[in-house]
Amino acid sequence: MFEPFTDVVPSFFGWLNQGPLTLTIFLHTVIILPMIWIYYQEKKRLENEN
Amino acid sequence: MANKSVWSDNRFWQRSAAWVTGFASVLLIWLTFDTSAQISMGNDADLQNGVTKRVPGPTVINYKITYEMSQKRGHEVPIIGGNDGKGMSLFQEKETFFGRDDWSEEEAAELLHLGKLGTQAKNCMNCHTLLGNGAYYAPDLTKAWLDPAWGPNGSMQAMTGKDTKEEAMAEFLQHPSQYPTHERMMPNLGITAEEAKGIVAFLKHMSSIDTNGFPRNFAKIQGAVHGK
Repeated sequence: MFEPFTDVVPSFFGWLNQGPLTLTIFLHTVIILPMIWIYYQEKKRLENEN
Repeated sequence: MANKSVWSDNRFWQRSAAWVTGFASVLLIWLTFDTSAQISMGNDADLQNGVTKRVPGPTVINYKITYEMSQKRGHEVPIIGGNDGKGMSLFQEKETFFGRDDWSEEEAAELLHLGKLGTQAKNCMNCHTLLGNGAYYAPDLTKAWLDPAWGPNGSMQAMTGKDTKEEAMAEFLQHPSQYPTHERMMPNLGITAEEAKGIVAFLKHMSSIDTNGFPRNFAKIQGAVHGK
């Protein structure tokens, strides 16, 4: 599932590009999780407005 | 207004879009600097001190370059001046280039520059591919230097009647339409002897660049490394 990191020059972007799984985990971390957080904040705000 | 859905609320989408756009901008700026650092060219001191650079210095033309399978990385990597047995370059074994293996950094850089200008002036990319840029009408030249067809006992070298790889390539570049290759024969582009020398140096340097195995399967195609 996880491949060893083998790039000639170690880099954050090299790690990101090792395969679909690392990219998926990364994109979920930086897009989906903050959106869930924003979702609950906005939900709370709408409930307070009512 | 009771129970308004978050999904139809404009502010949720605005904030999400702002976050993704902002984060992506930061990431792309970081990526730009990271790339700049990785593709910056090494120098002669790096080669002499055994420092592996993705793009080695111009004096790499003084060294023997081979293309060897790295079990660790899962593809072929350019090995400069001998393999240390662990898939890394030793930077020791030299190889004459047009009769010399002591090209100075200035001379080698000048030759590479001439070759680079030559490839641009003759528009090699109109048919060939160099480092992923160009066309696939004619063979990919990224690792052309490592193609055994140009090496000793190779068909291309035999065809030109020359004794070394660089002389054979330079001869072919000056009179491409004299040599039968395949249906898509290379036209005569009026390349001079000095330009041809520069272009061959440019190709040798290009083959030493670590391209993470690009072009894929180069070593498996007919006539290339390990090919039949």
